[in-house]
Amino acid sequence: MSSATMDPAVRAPVRARGRGRIRYHRLLFHVTAVLVALLFLAPIFWVVAASFRTPAESGQPPLPPWPTQGFSIDSYLRLEKFGQSILHYSGNSLFVAVGTAALTIVVSTLAGYGFSRFRFPLKGLVFLLILATIMVPFQSILTPLFLLLAKLGLQNTLIGLVLIYTTLQLPFSVFMMRNAFDAVPREIEEAARIDGVKGVRMLVQVMGPLVLPGVVTVGLFAFLNAWNEFLAALVLLTDQSKFTLPVLMTAVRSGRFGSIDWGAVQAGVTVMMIPCLILFLILQRSYIRGLTAGAVK
Amino acid sequence: MTRIDHVAGERKTSGVSLQGVNKWFGAVQVLGDIDLDIQSGEFVVFVGPSGCGKSTLLRLIAGLEEVTEGEIRIGGRDVTDADPSDRGIAMVFQTYALYPHMSVAQNMGFGLKVAGRSKQEVTGKVAAAADVLRLTDYLDRRPGQLSGGQRQRVAIGRAIVRDPDVFLFDEPLSNLDAELRVEMRIEISRLHQSLGNTMIYVTHDQTEAMTLADKIVVLRSGRIEQVGSPAELYDDPDNLFVAGFIGSPKMNFLPAEVRGGAIRVAGHPVPDPGLRSRPAEGTKLLLGIRPEHLRLAKPGEPALTVTAQFAEFLGGTTYLYGAVAEGVDCVMEVDRSVDTRQGAVLNVTAMADDIRCFGENGLRLR
Repeated sequence: MSSATMDPAVRAPVRARGRGRIRYHRLLFHVTAVLVALLFLAPIFWVVAASFRTPAESGQPPLPPWPTQGFSIDSYLRLEKFGQSILHYSGNSLFVAVGTAALTIVVSTLAGYGFSRFRFPLKGLVFLLILATIMVPFQSILTPLFLLLAKLGLQNTLIGLVLIYTTLQLPFSVFMMRNAFDAVPREIEEAARIDGVKGVRMLVQVMGPLVLPGVVTVGLFAFLNAWNEFLAALVLLTDQSKFTLPVLMTAVRSGRFGSIDWGAVQAGVTVMMIPCLILFLILQRSYIRGLTAGAVK
Repeated sequence: MTRIDHVAGERKTSGVSLQGVNKWFGAVQVLGDIDLDIQSGEFVVFVGPSGCGKSTLLRLIAGLEEVTEGEIRIGGRDVTDADPSDRGIAMVFQTYALYPHMSVAQNMGFGLKVAGRSKQEVTGKVAAAADVLRLTDYLDRRPGQLSGGQRQRVAIGRAIVRDPDVFLFDEPLSNLDAELRVEMRIEISRLHQSLGNTMIYVTHDQTEAMTLADKIVVLRSGRIEQVGSPAELYDDPDNLFVAGFIGSPKMNFLPAEVRGGAIRVAGHPVPDPGLRSRPAEGTKLLLGIRPEHLRLAKPGEPALTVTAQFAEFLGGTTYLYGAVAEGVDCVMEVDRSVDTRQGAVLNVTAMADDIRCFGENGLRLR
């Protein structure tokens, strides 16, 4: 080792320069993060601000997005007056979203447990087939799905929609849950077997709490996707009283004489966002843990 | 009644017996023709290099793997096809395998809760076990908040609470640091003395095996090489593998040949180990001599010459590493007064009783 590196007088500027570089990097990091966050927040702010414009102003060019002619909740009132109340349609959406999330969680947890822990013939191939269905765009199978539902007598019902959404959600969810179960050490299950735990009890009392982040992730994805889904709901629901919120938005959109009622649309979008935001904020910690489960030991 | 008696309650311990046990994973045989009798209350250690099948053997006894062929009896009862929870065993895993979402108390009491025991009984047994293992202050903590040693004690506590006939330990100390390992080793030994259960312990560490066991089972490539007390295995190994595996530093193996009516190593005659059937002239042998059995020869005594290479001073003793001949290394325990500088030449010999002879097939010649 040379004596120069040992000399504190020589080392000090090197350290100072190093610290300066770190501070510079931190600044750059925070500025970038704020800019990206703004980019994502801008449309949300835009929609919420625009929903409080007066009816006269709501049809005008969107800049600036906030109300300039006074604050008004008129758009919300118009939304409320459309068809049955907004609460009714929110109820439809909630039924579909919660139903999809619940069914997806049940099926994908059982399937993920099976794929992770049991040996059966053609396991790899079956798993691959399930994953392969992600590659099929669901719009392309909408017609057969419609016919299938019609055969089952479930067209134009919310339960039919729940079944379709769950089907679409399952490949990703089964994959997620298999990874979640894979991340649980086998010894824990073996210790439980020695403790006398079997069957459903193993899944619920021992494995359940350990794969909870995965369950939350799968449930959240299913809920959000079902809540926001538009095309299948538009095609499969014809009865206006069954509409979910995204379909309602298209119906609300048409104002007088073919004009578009932007105010009501913005108000509707704002209402639609609220449950998603609340759910996400409550569950975000488990959700992030679920996504990274098994990534590192 | 002592604290531990309270945990153990009225106990009848059970022996374990394995007959003709074979285990195949697909086309690979991992255990072949295992016959083993473990007496009630014995502390048995399965030892062997990694991949020898010792953990698999333990898992077969636990019921976590299915026996391909053969029979396992615990306390005289055939448990070959019984569920792990119905075998009267408890197991401590290398990775602790605690339930991370439960507190220490819940971890320890879970088995009893599953068995439908009353809350009062569960609490009592958990408290008693926690007392024995010095875990009383940690009962409300989660495993994630404990140190490695504490977690292992919880795992042992979980086993004690189940009040099993047989304790199974699968390399329980491998994840602990050296100091803690010694401490836990003593604790397990003490536990065995006071509980009196049959204990089966798997390790690859021969020191652990020697210090803990009443009986050691040495395994290699899925077969039992030798079964015996630590002293038997150390003094009277059946083959080269056991002789080399048990003892640290390893036994010296010196190539020898019968020539001119004497056994010679690198041309030097060694004391006659008194074999029952004398090997024929020209027979090649391996002589096994433990480092502590090699000593400096008195003047005029027949001896081997050892050229010192380096020495390890360990305080109480010094191990001298040297060469008897070109390519034949040996280790010997020497007094600190001995000249161990590199290149020093020592005349070395051993008592005839301390020399073990092995044939070219690796089997012991007696």
